[in-house]
Amino acid sequence: MSLICSVKNLTRIYHQKDSDVAVNALDGVSMEITDGDFAAIAGPSGSGKTTLLNILGGLDTPTAGEVIIDKTDLTKLSAPDLAEFRLRKIGFVFQAYNLIGTLSAYENAEYVALLQGVPQDRRLYEAKQLFKDLGMEPYLRRRPSQLSAGQQQRVAVARAIMARPKIILADEPTANLDSKTGSDLIELMHAMNKHLGITFVFATHDRMVMEKAGRLIQLHDGKLAGDSLGAPLKT
Amino acid sequence: MRNRARSFITIAAVAVGLCALIFLKAFIDGADHQMVSNYTDLFVGHLQIHKTGFQKNMGLDKSINNEESLSSVLRKTPSVEAFSPRVKEFALISSSEGSSGILLLGVDPEREKNVTTLHQKIREGENLLPQDKDQILIGRQLAENLGVTVGDKVVIMSQAFDGSIAAAAYDVKGLIDAGAEEIDKNLAIITLSAAQDLFVMERRISEIAVRLHQLDNVDSAGRELSRAFGRNFEVLNWKDISPMTYQWLQFDQVFTGLILFIVLLVVAGGILNTILMGVLERTKEFGIMLALGTKPAQISLMVGLESFFLGLAGALLGAASGTSLILLFNKIGIDLSAISDALNSFYIGSVIYPIFSPLSVGLYAVIILLLSIAISVFPAIKASRLSPIEAIRS
Repeated sequence: MSLICSVKNLTRIYHQKDSDVAVNALDGVSMEITDGDFAAIAGPSGSGKTTLLNILGGLDTPTAGEVIIDKTDLTKLSAPDLAEFRLRKIGFVFQAYNLIGTLSAYENAEYVALLQGVPQDRRLYEAKQLFKDLGMEPYLRRRPSQLSAGQQQRVAVARAIMARPKIILADEPTANLDSKTGSDLIELMHAMNKHLGITFVFATHDRMVMEKAGRLIQLHDGKLAGDSLGAPLKT
Repeated sequence: MRNRARSFITIAAVAVGLCALIFLKAFIDGADHQMVSNYTDLFVGHLQIHKTGFQKNMGLDKSINNEESLSSVLRKTPSVEAFSPRVKEFALISSSEGSSGILLLGVDPEREKNVTTLHQKIREGENLLPQDKDQILIGRQLAENLGVTVGDKVVIMSQAFDGSIAAAAYDVKGLIDAGAEEIDKNLAIITLSAAQDLFVMERRISEIAVRLHQLDNVDSAGRELSRAFGRNFEVLNWKDISPMTYQWLQFDQVFTGLILFIVLLVVAGGILNTILMGVLERTKEFGIMLALGTKPAQISLMVGLESFFLGLAGALLGAASGTSLILLFNKIGIDLSAISDALNSFYIGSVIYPIFSPLSVGLYAVIILLLSIAISVFPAIKASRLSPIEAIRS
């Protein structure tokens, strides 16, 4: 298996507005993610999970350090190039789903594929297949406000997968779901990981997600506190 | 565009603004046109032909003795609809109760009807007949000042063409109420032949009042007739005859332009506000789009295109509704009788009929559309510069 992601000495310092207080969200984190991983980044609130995920996704820039995703150093990309990189290589699943409220479930799912220039008939075919696999076929034309939390998160997963990214970054994907729905969703993503070979990296403090993950990376106060590298960590 | 309420508000802001602009312009154009039209129709005519110098220093010594040759030229001029020869001189009018300086007009009542609307302004009594020799029409206010009414006698005194005293008594046949002080207080009218007899002028006249088929042609028709009549005659249009009215109109147009510009700024502010609100409301949505790989330029383009299409829809709706309103009120008029006295003094009339001008509607529609696009630049740039993470958290 080849490396899909490598970070070295990653540091992210936030300066609070109207004060000189600096918050060290990440402090010299170094790690690697292999193609096909189903990895969880765990840690208490404020440990830097979301910051790390945002930097891996090119949504945030590190104060220092190196971020290589699929052989591209993200710190060297301009804003438009970063956007293009996210479009082609990264899929996102957010804690709050972040679907576009004025678009239907299908339109949300096809949005990235549309930007990628995938023809409409292929988008429609793939979306229908994906919605069928996700058990969402009847809800294709519904707007997010007409869907339950679990259904919205499934649409978000469909959107991430439709883009055929190298890596999907999921920030607390089960945090707003009940345990059954959350468990089903993780099973679903696990199946996608196995069958489609898509790399998944989660930021989570959900024990169920950690147990399911093939690898557990632990952060504490912005520092790497542990890495199971292969075996699920039993806590 | 998927948010119908937001799109409706933006389209409505553009449409209402444009509708108000084009209706206001049509209303003011209508009022201005009515003022010129009523002013020229009432008494002045579109053009006046005099002996050169008459306008500067009115007097019987500058009377025209070859009316027939001028008339034959006027009959052959296609832009001329009708014309009426007149005698015009200052005089003193007296009754048993008082006297007043007036402008005495001698007209052929039948021919004058084709040039002016003075005959329509007779509120008491009747119009003159061509054969009337000792009948007179006077302004209602003048009649009040003299303490006379229809059927009473007044005496006119002036200097005749030959230098002798011109004096005659006339029966008041009708009272003119034009709503304009300069006429109601200072004008008296007798027949052309009676005036020629009074002033011992034989067949001489003071001026010819001309009505054109199109009021807008006064400049070109005036130049054409001026060339035809030569240096001995002056051909004056209403602007030359009443520079004050013309200047007032010019001032009105500048003032109107200023008002329309202010309205335009208010409309632009409204459009900017709705578009900016639309962008601010969608900050999170733009953040999601940026996070998913939409390029900043694509966000700008999207906001710009949305503004263009919303502006286009608003402009079409505003132009259609504005045009409908103009056409409706062009038929039924807008009755401002509550302030009719003031409007009559300016010859505008109490009922104003807005004028539909396709050019104005098109011009303002294009201005509003361009404005919608131009003012979307700031929100578009603002949207494109959002940080995806901060925008999603908003």
